[in-house]
Amino acid sequence: MSNSIYEQYETVIGLEVHVQLATRSKAFCGDDASFGGEPNTHVSAISLGHPGTLPRLNKQQAAYAVRLGLALGCRIDPASAFDRKNYFYADLPKGYQITQDRRPICVGGALPIKLGETWKEIRLHHIHMEEDAGKSIHDQDPRFSFIDLNRAGVPLLEVVTEPELRSAEEVDAFMSGMQQLVRYLGISDGNMEEGSMRCDCNVSVRRRGDTRLGERCEIKNLNSMRYARRAIAYEVKRQIDLIEAGGKVAQETLHFDPDTGVTSPLRSKEDAHDYRYFPEPDLPPVLLDKIFLDAQERALPALPWHLYVQFRNEYQLTDYDAGLLIEDRETAAYFQALCAQTPHKKAAANLIINKILPWRRETGAELADFPLTLPSLAAFLQLIDEGKVSNAIAYQRLLPALMENPSKAPLALAQELELIQTADTDLLGELADQVLAANPDKVAAYKKGKTGLMGFFMGEMMRLSKGQADPKTTTALLAEKLKV
Amino acid sequence: MKSYAKLSDIQADLRAGQITCRQLVAFYLEQIAATKHLNAYIEVYADEALQRAQSLDERYATDPASAGRLYGMVISIKDVICYKDHQVTGGSHILEGFTSLFSATAVERLLAEGAIIIGRTNCDEFAMGSTNETSYYGPTKNAADPSRIPGGSSGGAAVAVQAGTCLAALGSDTGGSVRQPAAFCGVIGLKPTYGRISRHGLLAYGSSFDQIGVFSHSIQDAALLLEIMAGADEYDSTAGRRPVPAYSQRLSFDRRARIAYLPEALEHPSLDPGVRQACLQFLEKLTGAGHIVEPVSFEWLDYIIPAYYVLTTAEASSNLARYDGIRYGYRSADAHNLEAAYRKSRSEGFGAEAKRRIMLGAFVLSAGYYDAYYAKAQQVRRLIRDTTLDILSKYDFIFMPTAPNVAWPLGETIDDPVAMYLADIFTVQANMAGIPAIALPAGNHPDNGLPIGVQLMGAPFEEEALLAFSKQIVP
Repeated sequence: MSNSIYEQYETVIGLEVHVQLATRSKAFCGDDASFGGEPNTHVSAISLGHPGTLPRLNKQQAAYAVRLGLALGCRIDPASAFDRKNYFYADLPKGYQITQDRRPICVGGALPIKLGETWKEIRLHHIHMEEDAGKSIHDQDPRFSFIDLNRAGVPLLEVVTEPELRSAEEVDAFMSGMQQLVRYLGISDGNMEEGSMRCDCNVSVRRRGDTRLGERCEIKNLNSMRYARRAIAYEVKRQIDLIEAGGKVAQETLHFDPDTGVTSPLRSKEDAHDYRYFPEPDLPPVLLDKIFLDAQERALPALPWHLYVQFRNEYQLTDYDAGLLIEDRETAAYFQALCAQTPHKKAAANLIINKILPWRRETGAELADFPLTLPSLAAFLQLIDEGKVSNAIAYQRLLPALMENPSKAPLALAQELELIQTADTDLLGELADQVLAANPDKVAAYKKGKTGLMGFFMGEMMRLSKGQADPKTTTALLAEKLKV
Repeated sequence: MKSYAKLSDIQADLRAGQITCRQLVAFYLEQIAATKHLNAYIEVYADEALQRAQSLDERYATDPASAGRLYGMVISIKDVICYKDHQVTGGSHILEGFTSLFSATAVERLLAEGAIIIGRTNCDEFAMGSTNETSYYGPTKNAADPSRIPGGSSGGAAVAVQAGTCLAALGSDTGGSVRQPAAFCGVIGLKPTYGRISRHGLLAYGSSFDQIGVFSHSIQDAALLLEIMAGADEYDSTAGRRPVPAYSQRLSFDRRARIAYLPEALEHPSLDPGVRQACLQFLEKLTGAGHIVEPVSFEWLDYIIPAYYVLTTAEASSNLARYDGIRYGYRSADAHNLEAAYRKSRSEGFGAEAKRRIMLGAFVLSAGYYDAYYAKAQQVRRLIRDTTLDILSKYDFIFMPTAPNVAWPLGETIDDPVAMYLADIFTVQANMAGIPAIALPAGNHPDNGLPIGVQLMGAPFEEEALLAFSKQIVP
């Protein structure tokens, strides 16, 4: 089928993103919620769904939910409630999952996602709290399936979007944005490989201009962005081909096989589970008072999309630099802290991007462990700005020397190493005379119009001055002496 | 040894050195053996109880206070209450052999005060039944007439107290499962306010109705046991956080009570004439004692049972989902895949009544029926609760028969579950409204001499008044 046919269609995607929270204990009991561990070691009678056990709310889960909700501009329900979602599976110990169906803790809100240099707001339907199921392992034994219940009861937030995403790229941006945000908030490690973030994609297509939504298919449990992109691409093409061939998309739940790159039905609408939701009688409503809400508000850091605007507008950074500096909360905070000590924001951004971030990558250390203190870095930037040390020398010689002797003041060390640029016209005049005297042919050529030779003279000046010649003064001086 | 009716008598004799706790336990064990045909117990902890009694005796000898406030209290627990390292089966095949890893909060608190648990008592499967006939371990028989049911679901617990095999018993009451068998067996049965006693360690049937209750011969014992078990519990978020009064110290009631009775109940076509007569006599006695007794109309009486069975079966269908043969309990031997494991284990492991209620509950929650059944029943519950609380804002207590009749012959309702359900008509209201209620013995039926019970209900968390007033009636 020709590409023009596909271009007549618009892709519509809604997401259900599961975020595993980094709480110490599980959602409804004190069991260890951390990832890993020997199978079935993070379990107690409650995780195992033993007779007579009851859930109790982990306040940290509610706190994290509220923080995410506040960051995304959601309305926080001061009396959200839990429901039971009933279904049988071997890794679901109680035979139901505790979730929020009727009254989720956060309603509405939006996540701004970055598409190139622009931002698009993806509105959210709601965010609710729930518990994870355990893990079934089907590939370790020919006859038996194994069950690991360490994950059973680990707290999750499910973020449900409106169907406002239009491409796999937007899904990618949304997931990256969500990952960035939960890490900023410190509520999840956002690690897709370990399953800390997973998404279900509801995909439909419609002819451009159509306002009604097409029939959707839900692709379950995509745990990597690469898979999600491939699954969506495959599914969109499948649906368009089906419609173009005169068929109809049936509402289905799909599984994506990363080995074949193909989606296949898990169950049809007719076979869809009837989850028999009803209010969880074992848990009272989650009553949130102003003190609690205020505390969560105070715990919010500056958010990446606000920082981006600040870095672009106030600090005049490029889109690329601003994007790099907001990538994680630590970098953004470090940059802001440095900016608080220096007026040279752009230079500060370059210093971090070109030197300090690579240092962090190589060492695996934290930015706070960078050998130079912020005042020292600010002084370093100041030396460059004042022309006391040339930019090249500063980075090539002074910075490595400072990292060796972090306790030394940049100016003192620069002096010690004789890296200070000089604007002393007497000294520079003498050097210039030497250079011109040594190169009479080039002087003649210059005077005949080969002004490009200025670079050569400057190079010689730098060589003789061991890099300490102030470029501005030197250029002016040479130009004066070479005047016809 | 003589048969004791209250702990204070036992403790007086213990203090006087006339008996030891060990002798007491030995006596109760003899009673259990002598009444084995009643099938009140599923398991008796004979050796363990004797040992514990002996160590309590030794402790008492060195420091009387260290033996606890329940020194001399020999108690049984219904087979839906967890006791660490002991089996708990809910009267069901599906949990046969299952050992609990922890003790119910109620049990913990009793043990901490020196109570001795002598065994676990028979009950309807997962507390679903009003006759004790749905137990996998066979029916319990009424000591007043072993051809008759003891009531249910806590039938074993009621008979255990009735037959003098223990001083008190813990049961559970979801729709009358403590009060109705108490009435049928002629003992006191207290169902506290919903959430007064933690449900941690109570096998769930209808979670928003379930409450642990007490069987005893005396109000003092019921009050003391409640006092010790009640109160907030970090393991049960629905447990009430209100302070627990010293019920056992506050049993005097020296004012005129205002008591409402519901004409719809006393004129109900299902009410046995002999029971009705006992009720009227009881009310006359109250009037005679100077209390105010007035009729208050309650038009929702016939909606109680249908709404109750919709809501409790809905909750039960979910609560019983965990019994799947995967992690513990009965697993069918010839299941070779997951679906078959569920299907066969649950088909073979649950009895007919449990299966009936699971299916009913799954149905009323299913897509397309939820609004017509579950949501509507929730509205009915709200209406019943509001109306009941409204009456209790004007009256101290609501009077009711406990059951419409006396214990009926074994087997009579086994094929007619609806008839069995309707027998809960007077007890369910308290569970629907979450209020405390107590069944008190009110003599014997004029025709057959079987025990009759009457019932008083109070406002939420007003057990103190309910117990104190009951003490005036059952000294």
